Amino acid sequence: MDLATYKEDIWGREVILGASWELLWLVVVSAFVVIALHAVVLAVRRRGARPSSAGPRVARHSAIDRLFHWIMAVAVIALLITGVLPIIGLEFSWLTIHWIAGLVLTASVVFHIVRSLFWQDLKSMWISARDLKEPFDATIRPGKYSVAQKSMHAAVTVLVLLVIGSGLVMFAMIDTPWWDRSNSIAESTLGWVFLIHGLSTIALIALICLHVYFGLRPEKLFYTRSMIKGWISKEELEANHDPERWAPGKSS
Amino acid sequence: MASHDVMPDIELYQPSTLDDALDLLDRYGDEGWLLGGGQDTYGWLKDRAKHPKAMIDLNGIENLRGIRELADGIEIGAVTTLVEIIGNSLVKRDFGLLSQAAARVASPQIRNVGTLGGNLVQDARCWYYRRGLSCYRAGGNLCYADSPQGMNREHALFGASRCVAVSPSDTATALVALEATMVTANLEGVRLIPAEEFFAGPDTHITRMTSLEPGEILTAVRIPSKWAGRRFYFEKVADRNVWDFALVSIAVAMAVEGDVISDARFVCGGVACKPHRLRNVERAAVGMTLSDESAATLGPLASQGAKPLNYNQFKLPLMENLVRRAMRG
Repeated sequence: MDLATYKEDIWGREVILGASWELLWLVVVSAFVVIALHAVVLAVRRRGARPSSAGPRVARHSAIDRLFHWIMAVAVIALLITGVLPIIGLEFSWLTIHWIAGLVLTASVVFHIVRSLFWQDLKSMWISARDLKEPFDATIRPGKYSVAQKSMHAAVTVLVLLVIGSGLVMFAMIDTPWWDRSNSIAESTLGWVFLIHGLSTIALIALICLHVYFGLRPEKLFYTRSMIKGWISKEELEANHDPERWAPGKSS
Repeated sequence: MASHDVMPDIELYQPSTLDDALDLLDRYGDEGWLLGGGQDTYGWLKDRAKHPKAMIDLNGIENLRGIRELADGIEIGAVTTLVEIIGNSLVKRDFGLLSQAAARVASPQIRNVGTLGGNLVQDARCWYYRRGLSCYRAGGNLCYADSPQGMNREHALFGASRCVAVSPSDTATALVALEATMVTANLEGVRLIPAEEFFAGPDTHITRMTSLEPGEILTAVRIPSKWAGRRFYFEKVADRNVWDFALVSIAVAMAVEGDVISDARFVCGGVACKPHRLRNVERAAVGMTLSDESAATLGPLASQGAKPLNYNQFKLPLMENLVRRAMRG
């Protein structure tokens, strides 16, 4: 299966047209196979009692971070619906919704980057050598974020920056209320832009499948609750995190 | 791209029933090609810009031919030739707008073999696309016509979304004005589609001109009696009077009570990817009389909202003047 599709440019030379969308099915099926295997493995493994959500609470996500997360989620879902459904055959007027959602995503990501750089603990998301030992050593417990969460964040960061970067170039290729398209990018360059946009979209779909799956797993559901309500219980904190690496303040 | 004088090697099927045609279309899928009069088809195939494996000739299906009177209007089979429509007394008497539009299609030779269905579903005439370039409409990722060096004199003023090609059909504008309904069939059954929804813009269907789905055949056009015998106006402006596509055309159906317009439909061709209704003109026309004063008022409304390209600004006054001419007493 090819990564790219090709076409002839106006001079008859073969250039990249964009991503091969057959990959979408491969990636989606692979993601669901991984999810199914993970679910089966965890189902047969013996589990201890889950920590209670009752009792004292600690703050995990501030309101502004939760708002960012859900705005980004809505924008990404809107982008996927408007970007992918017409490709797989469901035709509707998608372009305007797509670029508006793209601008919302871009603005929210810029906001998040600025906030992370100047107002948040950037190191809490860095993957250290100690983090990499975490899956293999039960005595190592994570700080605020597990290595799996940090890896997901890193992968989503790279892919979202790729879709935004390529998307902005593609945005210049359509008419908007602010400009008329120039349509002057070389066809070979444009093919690379479409390829990057398409492949990063396909990879993002796989990551979103995994993200939603893990967000809905019973033992991880308290993280999803914290992304809605902002808090986890002290018992959940102590069962899943190293208090020396993450010592959050108490939540009201 | 080389141009050839001969047809490529292709399987030819000549079914005598609609069911057989639908079966063949289902069997060949994307590689099947429906043939009406062939006036759009042969150019594509001889230029080797499209490569179907099988051609399904609809002309032998009697049910798809002829003009029938219905309880409410008339039905015209999709492979009825344009010359049959022009000469039909019923069409001429009640729906002269369609007769006039059909009479302005291409040339007498083409009208002799060209069918109503073929005229309605014909593909875009943007030469970048017809030349076989991989533009948006051909599944590519850019528009050659709307580029700094692109030649876009004949292209769209309205409704462009990446692709700026226009609908080339003369009869389409008349049928939208007459509130016709398209009858389509596939293996599952029959679908009735209002003419206005039958033609599709690039925002929803960038690789096709109509809402016909794969495996579906346009079988007939029904024109309701609502506009029968009303006042009509059709005019087509092209670079030459025969064998040419419209730069701008206008089809108007008006209900005039006494001297006053009580209802009207104004539809322009050649300015958008589908027949373009001038809704603001229609609204303003109601209550007016046919006069130079009304013409002067309505003319400027026609081009409102247009987004001209580098070389097609001349279509703006052309549209406005066609509305003025339609409104003269």
